[in-house]
Amino acid sequence: MTQIFPKWTNQVPRQLLIGLIVVANVVIFGVWYFFSPEYTDVGYAPEQPVPYSHKLHVSQLGLDCQYCHTSVWDSKQANIPATQTCMNCHNQIKTDSDKLAPIRNSWETGEPIEWVRVHNLADYAYFNHAAHVNVGVGCESCHGRIDKMEVVYQAEPLSMGWCLDCHREPEKFVRPIEEVTTMGYSVENQIELGKELVAKNNIHPPQYCQGCHY
Amino acid sequence: MSETTPTTTYWKSLNELAENQEYKKYAEREFTENATELNDGVSRRGFLRVMGASIALAGFAACRRPVQKILPYSRQPEDIVPGIPLYYATSMPLMGSLVGLVAENHEGRPTKLEGNDMHPASRGGTNAFHQAAILNLYDPDRSRFPRKDGQRASLEDFSTFLSEELGRTTAKRILFISEANSSPTLAAQKAYLTNTYFDNAEWVTYEAFGEENAFRGTDLAFGSRLRPYYKYDQADVVVSLNDDMLSATHPNNVEYSNQITGKRKVTSTKDTMSRIYAVEDSFSVTGSYADNRLRLKASQIPAFTFALAQALSEQTSGLDAFSGVNNSFVGHEWISALAEDLLANRGRSAVSAGLEHAPEVHAAVAAMNVALGNAGNTVDYLEVPHAGDSVETTFEDALTRLNNDEFDVAVIVGGNPVYTSPELAQAIGKVETVVHLSDFYNETSKAATWHINRAHFLETWGDGYSFGGTRSVIQPQIQPLHGGISEIEFLSMFSGSMAKGYDLVRNTFAEYYNDLDAAWVNILHDGIDRIDSFAKPNVRVTSSLGSAVAGALNQTPGSGMEVVIRPDASVYDGRFANNGWLQELPDPMTKITWDNVALMSPATAAQLGVENEDVVSVTVNESSVTIAAWIQPGHVDDAITLSVGYGREGIGRVANRYMDYTSGGSDTYPLRAHNSLFSAGSVSKTGETYEIACVQDHHSLEGRDLYRQATIEKYKKTPEYASFAYIHKYEVPGLKEAAAKGEDEPISLFDEQVYPEYEPQWGMAIDLNSCFGCGVCIIACQSENNIPVIGKKEVKRGREMHWIRNDRYFVGEDADNPQAVHQPVPCMHCELAPCEQVCPVAATTHSNDGMNQMTYNRCIGTRYCANNCPYKVRRFNFFNYPKEYLTTGDDPDIIQMAMNPEVTVRFRGVMEKCTYCAQRVNRAKISAKIETGSPKPADGTVKTACQQACPADCISFGDLTDPNSEVSKIKRNERNYQMLEELNTRPRTSYVAKLTNPNPALA
Repeated sequence: MTQIFPKWTNQVPRQLLIGLIVVANVVIFGVWYFFSPEYTDVGYAPEQPVPYSHKLHVSQLGLDCQYCHTSVWDSKQANIPATQTCMNCHNQIKTDSDKLAPIRNSWETGEPIEWVRVHNLADYAYFNHAAHVNVGVGCESCHGRIDKMEVVYQAEPLSMGWCLDCHREPEKFVRPIEEVTTMGYSVENQIELGKELVAKNNIHPPQYCQGCHY
Repeated sequence: MSETTPTTTYWKSLNELAENQEYKKYAEREFTENATELNDGVSRRGFLRVMGASIALAGFAACRRPVQKILPYSRQPEDIVPGIPLYYATSMPLMGSLVGLVAENHEGRPTKLEGNDMHPASRGGTNAFHQAAILNLYDPDRSRFPRKDGQRASLEDFSTFLSEELGRTTAKRILFISEANSSPTLAAQKAYLTNTYFDNAEWVTYEAFGEENAFRGTDLAFGSRLRPYYKYDQADVVVSLNDDMLSATHPNNVEYSNQITGKRKVTSTKDTMSRIYAVEDSFSVTGSYADNRLRLKASQIPAFTFALAQALSEQTSGLDAFSGVNNSFVGHEWISALAEDLLANRGRSAVSAGLEHAPEVHAAVAAMNVALGNAGNTVDYLEVPHAGDSVETTFEDALTRLNNDEFDVAVIVGGNPVYTSPELAQAIGKVETVVHLSDFYNETSKAATWHINRAHFLETWGDGYSFGGTRSVIQPQIQPLHGGISEIEFLSMFSGSMAKGYDLVRNTFAEYYNDLDAAWVNILHDGIDRIDSFAKPNVRVTSSLGSAVAGALNQTPGSGMEVVIRPDASVYDGRFANNGWLQELPDPMTKITWDNVALMSPATAAQLGVENEDVVSVTVNESSVTIAAWIQPGHVDDAITLSVGYGREGIGRVANRYMDYTSGGSDTYPLRAHNSLFSAGSVSKTGETYEIACVQDHHSLEGRDLYRQATIEKYKKTPEYASFAYIHKYEVPGLKEAAAKGEDEPISLFDEQVYPEYEPQWGMAIDLNSCFGCGVCIIACQSENNIPVIGKKEVKRGREMHWIRNDRYFVGEDADNPQAVHQPVPCMHCELAPCEQVCPVAATTHSNDGMNQMTYNRCIGTRYCANNCPYKVRRFNFFNYPKEYLTTGDDPDIIQMAMNPEVTVRFRGVMEKCTYCAQRVNRAKISAKIETGSPKPADGTVKTACQQACPADCISFGDLTDPNSEVSKIKRNERNYQMLEELNTRPRTSYVAKLTNPNPALA
């Protein structure tokens, strides 16, 4: 009686097992690596009710971040401006633009504009804008080159590992406080200057859990 | 009073004293039986039932990238900066007095109430009712619309009804029944409506537990209705004749507890402290705080009072009315000891009587205070404009006339008299039309023709006086959530069209100022308009006092069983019954949650053959109530104490009593005659049992040496009485080995953490000499930290979530007459924390500022940490208490508004515990860093929620690296000790040992 399975089939279970382990590892690694915020969240650019262009307003018109985001120095939140702030200029300029219709509508009815949130930290994590800008963490460090964005997108992963990169080595990122809103800031001697600034501003970023999670 | 020695017995329950099986069941297990097993599903209905407004933020669905919207203002309101809370002064009216508060607002919604530092009735402190008021605001069961005959109607309908049926010229005879209210605006409306506007209108003030007897007492003594207002900060000797002035059920308890505990702050052996005597029937918080306590039946208190007056009459003038008293207490050892102490402290002592005692008792007390020279020194007699003698009818009179059909319309302004007064419930049935203004669609509303939904005090403008006469404005924090109206707006509807509360209050205040606009900003900012508004007439005892009290002097106390009915420490007269926080707050003395019980002494229980949880039938004047019995050590024999406010039907999901007879307690009002404290009754065992969720044996530390106290004499001789070495006669283990290595802390197996210099190091000290066990810290913590309410069944299983508990210990071997002491226990934030060593996922670790931190998103729920915590302060979310409610509730938006946005809402399967209010600490550190460059906030900037709420300033918190901080100073005191010091956990929370000052003559 001939064998139904040739001899090489004896190796099949072993090869299958090894193959499965390899595939499983690849899958796990793939999920672990590519499903992280760096790949899933960066680049998120939802459509906003008003196609507000930061590029236009910052690069061409030269508005400073703080013209609209006024509470950034005082509050944990860097506020989205009230409709009133838009109307400061737009009651004079482009008063009949279709794109601005929601702004005028909000101004007349008192109903807020529903902006879509772009930068959203994980639940359980508390972030305070004032604590960061007051010691010289630039807007750009977390939000990217806003001055070049036609539509705002998430430029950095905002993951805990990414936060800790700076909390562990703040000297690589901090800048003089007067340069906080500067876009495209860069100095050659960052480490040297950073160390000076860390000492001068008494910067000790918390690395313990309760610094951000409570 | 016993002193601390290694042999002093401290026990939480009679079971523990007896060390029986029942107790071992609790003690041997980390959690109580059934706490760790899932024996039954928690039904949705069950959750709905208990949660009320007690619950939390919606956890967004776990799916990826939920789209969130940001809605900025259209026009930016001045002052509002998103992310920065705003604080506005307001006041809370309760029991006819205001207490000044400050409300924390997040983007326009109030989330937390704190005491107003500047307000004399608060001085920054609050009681449990004030803290829990915020939950009443967001209670989804509040009445949301007016009703006519039970059907939904509108305010316009009511307005039409008023103009058509109750116009100015109406022939109908109207009776206004109002709860006690100190508002001058309301007083003016009252006068206008009854004297001018209507021809046939009368007014009666009704409170189930009011001050009427005290007013009548001073009327007897001085010939005018005056309010005794004590200044306990001037009193070296305090005699409480059944007066529970430290309990939240007293209208001025916050101010009084601040003053009384203030006289007992001892910082060195040179200091002195006041002496408190309490004579009472049931164990009250005042009794537990007293240095000498005497058990007497409530019916014996009058005789005791008169005997004391008689004893004093021998050496003072003005007490002739009592010189002939000859009852069984004359010559009692207490009478002579009290008389001696009072006479030695003339002008520096204060005698007070319980508010529900008869007017003659109050008259005797008033006369004693005058005779001792206390009037004007430790007690002022205040002319209270709204005490209502001229314009008002008495309640008794109103009742009779209601029964004689002398009224056509009853207008009930707030309160719930149909529930609280069975007599009135009957009488009101004779009236053609009943109009009722109320927060809930309650018993009275159901009996009413018109029900108008009332606004919460945080929603409308109002005004009023504090107990001591500080005039304030009630400033709204938010628009009425359900379109309710306040009592002054309601009354304005009767005289034409409805005025706005703001205009009404402004009109009242315009009379006080030439230029109100200039003053108004300050009135609102400070929350205070004028401090001493009440006149203090010179008082003289009238010559008619003798004849007025003669009848009462000869009454002999009854000898049989008596039934005493009191307001409840959690739900007061029933008005807080739908408040989950208060329902779940353990009673200060019994530690019972969610129910009322029949309290009795061990001897009485033995005589009746009754044990805890046996149902008894209590009968007074042919009315019977069945209720669970509870044995209270220290209770007087032959008496039953009941509290009111329970056994509700159709009020709301928290308050309601359920037909399956598992929660909600019993309605005891049917046993109570108006304004009477006690009555003769009978008690019998029914043979049934009823489960009571009592937390006294939960988290037991099994008789270890946790509480330390001594008399002040002993402290002066041996200042180190609270030290470990003194008590145990040996040093803490490991000290010798440490000394050999040149260290001062005992050696440890664990790695010691190094704390960076730039960080503050937080520590807390709890002064046991100030704590009288009220439990406001528990509610304040619950409000600040989004702690869920879990329901009676879960509490019974030992799953309560309170981050700070208040242990009540009885002291001594005598179960009939023990001492009772209180000890708040939050997380100790050990420097060498046993919990941290056993967590497999490093979810609990140590922070650089010295706190034991709990990281929720790391926790996988092994509960090893709780197992290893020697202080039993860790709490586990056995269910997703918040989410269950929010996905099923009918109005999650409203409930979510009560939550503190700064604190995470925890999920099921996560361990949690006291964080030292990390959110407040971090906020202060960030502000300090921005303002000064250093993350060390100035001393006093950070207050934990429990510390801020405490009226007795019992808790201090601050930076231990600053030798001049309050907490550092307190920790250097020789009375400072650590709980379970021998374990070398190095807790950051420490205790200051208690002192008592008992009269040696009564030892």
